[in-house]
Amino acid sequence: MTQISWLIALIPAFPLAGFLLNVFLVRGERANGTVASLSIVAAFITTVIAVINLAGMAAESRFIAITLWDWLAVGRVTVSFGLWFDPLTAVMALLITGVGALIHIYSITYMHGDSRPGRYFAYMNLFVFAMLILVMSDNLFLLFLGWEGVGLCSFLLIGHWFDRKHVAPGIVPSEAATKAFVVNRVGDAGLLLAMMAIVSHFGTLSFFGSDGFSGFVSQLTDASFTTISLGAFGNVGLVSGIAFLIILGVVGKSAQLPLFVWLPDAMAGPTPVSALIHAATMVTAGVYLIVRTHAVFDLAPDASGWVVIIGATTALIGATAAITQFDIKRVLAYSTISQLGFMIAAAGMGAYTAAIFHLLTHGLFKALLFLGSGAIIHGMHNIQDMRRMGGLRKHMPVIFLVYIVGALALSGIFPLAGFWSKDEIIAHAWYGAQNINVTVILLLSSLLTAFYMGRQVALTFAGEVRDKDAHPHEDLGSMKWPLYILAVASVLGGLMNLPGVHWLNDWLNPVLHQEAELFTLSMGIFAAVTVLLATGSGYLGYRIYSGPIGARITPGDEDPAHYYLGDIWKGFEMGWGLDYVYQRIFVKPYRTLSLFLHDVFDQQAIDGILVEGSAEMVGRFSQAVARIQNGNVRTYALVFLIGVVVLVGYVVIGA
Amino acid sequence: MLPTIFYIGLSVLLFVIGVCGVLLRRSTLMVFMSIELMLNSANLALVTFANQRQSIDAQIMVFFVITIAAAEVAVGLALLVMIFMRKQTTNIDTMTTLKG
Amino acid sequence: MELVIFVITAIVAIIGAVAMLTSRNAVHSALFLLLNFGAIAVLYLLLQAPFLFAVQLIVYAGAIIVLFLFVVMLLGAERDEEDANPIRWQAPVAITMAVLLIGEIIWVLVRQSQDSLARVGSSDSDFGSPAQIAQALFTTHLLPFEVASFVLLTALIGVVVLHQRQR
Repeated sequence: MTQISWLIALIPAFPLAGFLLNVFLVRGERANGTVASLSIVAAFITTVIAVINLAGMAAESRFIAITLWDWLAVGRVTVSFGLWFDPLTAVMALLITGVGALIHIYSITYMHGDSRPGRYFAYMNLFVFAMLILVMSDNLFLLFLGWEGVGLCSFLLIGHWFDRKHVAPGIVPSEAATKAFVVNRVGDAGLLLAMMAIVSHFGTLSFFGSDGFSGFVSQLTDASFTTISLGAFGNVGLVSGIAFLIILGVVGKSAQLPLFVWLPDAMAGPTPVSALIHAATMVTAGVYLIVRTHAVFDLAPDASGWVVIIGATTALIGATAAITQFDIKRVLAYSTISQLGFMIAAAGMGAYTAAIFHLLTHGLFKALLFLGSGAIIHGMHNIQDMRRMGGLRKHMPVIFLVYIVGALALSGIFPLAGFWSKDEIIAHAWYGAQNINVTVILLLSSLLTAFYMGRQVALTFAGEVRDKDAHPHEDLGSMKWPLYILAVASVLGGLMNLPGVHWLNDWLNPVLHQEAELFTLSMGIFAAVTVLLATGSGYLGYRIYSGPIGARITPGDEDPAHYYLGDIWKGFEMGWGLDYVYQRIFVKPYRTLSLFLHDVFDQQAIDGILVEGSAEMVGRFSQAVARIQNGNVRTYALVFLIGVVVLVGYVVIGA
Repeated sequence: MLPTIFYIGLSVLLFVIGVCGVLLRRSTLMVFMSIELMLNSANLALVTFANQRQSIDAQIMVFFVITIAAAEVAVGLALLVMIFMRKQTTNIDTMTTLKG
Repeated sequence: MELVIFVITAIVAIIGAVAMLTSRNAVHSALFLLLNFGAIAVLYLLLQAPFLFAVQLIVYAGAIIVLFLFVVMLLGAERDEEDANPIRWQAPVAITMAVLLIGEIIWVLVRQSQDSLARVGSSDSDFGSPAQIAQALFTTHLLPFEVASFVLLTALIGVVVLHQRQR
C-alpha cells in the first residue's frame, strides 16, 4: 500500500524533475527536448502502473491517497500537500501524461531551430507538473496551486515569442499572454472567494477528509439550508453561492461565456502549446473542477441551470465564430471553445460521465487537429492563413489522412470518438434533462461543427495552392508518430464508453455514482438522425468551399459568405463582438484613466510637485541659507549672540 | 555689605559693553581687549557670589580664570602677530576663510 | 561709606569700558582698559578678596595690558579701522541684541527672590585671606592647580613654536 502511495507521488515528480533539469543543468536543443519528453513518458508509464493498481482495488475504496507534508497550518485550518488518485484523477492523469508525452515528442521537431528551446521545454514540463497537481490534489487549496500554475505556464508559453511584434493572425504574443493572464484573473478571483467561503463555513478545504475528520464535500448536505447575507442584495444560499463562485473560476479557465476572449488570442503561442494547453488539458480544468465538486452542484440546481445556459450558449457562439475564421488555428480555437461549451453544458445537466467522456475524446482528436495544423504550418513555412493554402492533399498526404480523421472525429461522424461522446451529451439533453432548448442549441452547434470542419478541410486540402509563393512540403520527423497514435486514438476513443458497454461509466462510478443509462431503440434512432445531419452539414461545408465559392477565395479577401450575410458574418468573425465590448467598457476607460494618472497625477503631481518641487525647495532654501555663511567672523559672533539671547530668553520665560 | 544685585548689575553692564566691543570693533586687537573685559566682568560676578555665599571656591575659580586668560592672551597675541605678518592688517573683516 | 566707594568705582569702571569701546586709538583703548581693570580690582577689595586684588593688578594690569601695548606698538596697528564698515546692519542688530540681553538678565535679577541674593551666614573677617586661598588651592584644588601650570607651559611652548615656524 505504501509503495503504491509513493508511486502516485512520482507522477508529478517526473515533470518537476524534468523542469528543474532543463532550467539548471541541461543545455542544447536536442538534450532539452529529450529530457523533457522522457520525463513525461516516465510520468505516463508511472500513471499506467498506478491505474493498473487502482483497478485491482475494491470498488468502494478505490483510491490511493498520500499526504506528503502539512503545507499550511493556520489556526484551526490545516492544508496538507496531499495527493489523491481515484478513477476520475486516473483518467485525467492518463490524458495529461499520454497526450502530453506525444506533444513533447512532437515538439522536438516542431521547435527545431527555435531560439529558446530550453525555456520552451522547461515550461512545458512545468505545465504538466502543475496540471497533474491540479487533478491529483486532495484539497481545493492545492488544486488552486495547480490552477494558478497552469495559468502561469499558459502565460509564459503564449508569450514564448515575446520578442516578435506580430505573429499570424495579427496578434502580438506579449499582449495575448497578458490578456490571457488578466482575463483568467477574473475567474481565479471567483475560485479564491469560493475557497474562502468553504473555509469559513466548513473549516477545511479537503475534498474527502482524512485521519478521521471529514472533508467539506460530506458536510455539504448539512449546510444546504445555510444562507449568507449579501447586505442590500438579500440572502443567497451558501451552497449556491459557492457554486456560483466556482462557476466564475470555471468560466475563466475553460474559456466560457463571457470570458472566452482570451483563448483565440492564445493561439499566438507555438502550436504544440495550443494543442496541449489550450485544447487538450488546461482549458478542461474547469470541467474537471465542476465534476470534482459535483456534490456542490447537485445541491445547487439554480447554479447548475446557469452552467447549462453558459455551456450551451458558448457552444453556439464558438461554433458560429469558428465557421468564419481564416486562420487555421483560430478555427480550432473557437472550435475548442465550442466543444468546452458542450462539456460544461453536460456537467451542468448532471451528466458528469458524459462531460468527462467528451473531455477525453476531445483531448485526443483536438490535440490531433492542432498537431496536424502545426504540421501544416511547419510545412508551409509559418503560413497560417487558409486563404493562402489549398491543394495540400497532394503535397502532404500523411497529414491529410490524419487531419481527416481528426476532422471527422470532431464532427461527430460514426463511428469515430467524437460521435460517441458528443451524442451522449445531446442525448442526455433530450432524454435526461428533457430540455428542448438546450437540445436544439447543442444540435445546431454540432451541425455547425461539422460545417466548419468541412470548410476547413476544403480550404486547406482541396483544389490548388492559392498562394503561388508558398512551397508546401511534408517533413514530419518526430512529429510523425504522435500524429499516428493520436489518429488511431481518435478512431478508437469511443470504445471507452460504448452504449451498452460503458466501461468509463463503470470506472467512474465509485466517484460519480452514476449508473449508465439504458440504451434504447429510440436513442439509436436519435443518434442516427444526428449523425445523418452532421454528415450532411459537413459535406455541405466541404462542397461549398471546395466548389464555386471556394474558387472565389483569394488571399487577403473576405469570405464570399460575407457578401451574402454581411454584418452577421462580421459579427460571427469577431466572436460576437465581445472583444469589442470589453475594449470599450474596460480597456479603453482603464487606459484613459492610466494615461490621466500618468500624465497629470504622476508626471505633474508626483514628479513635478513632490519630487522635483521638493528638490527645488531644498535647493532654494540652501542658497538662501548659504548667504548667511559669508565667512565674516563678526557676523558669526553676532549670530552666536542672537542664539545666546534666544536661549536665555527661553530659560527666563520658561522659569 | 551692599546688596549683591549692585555688583551683579555692574558685572552685566560691563559684560554687554564687552560684547558690543567684540561685535562692533573691527580691529582684532580691540576684539581681544573686549574679550578680556568680558572675562573680567564674569570674574566680578564670581567674586560677588563668593562673598555672598562666603565660599572660597569661587575665588579659586577666578584665580584659574585669570591664569587661563594670561595663557590665552599670550597665544592669541602670538597668532595675531602672525596674521598681521601675513595680511599686513589686523582688520577682522579681512579674515573670511571660514566661508564654505 | 561702602556705597560711596562702590558708586565711584563703578562709574570709573564703566567710563573705562565705554571709553575703551569708543576710542579710535588702540593705545588709548588699552589704557582705558587698564583703568577699568584697576576699578575692578578695587571692587575685589570691597568684596573681601584681597588676594585676587593683588593678582588682578599683577596679572592683568601688570602683564596682560603691557603685552597688549607691546603688540600694538610692535605692529603699529593703533589705527586700523580707517576704512568704511563693510557690514552696515551689524551695528544696529548688535546693539539691539545687547539691549535685549541686558533686559533679560535684569528681568531674571528682578524676578529672583531677595533671599537668594541675600548674604549667607555671617561675615568672616578672615574670609578671602591669602592663607585661606592657599589652604583651598593646595588641598581641595591641587589637581586643577597643577593642570593650570601645564596649560601655562603649553601656551609658552605654543607661542615659541608658532614664531619659530615663521623663520
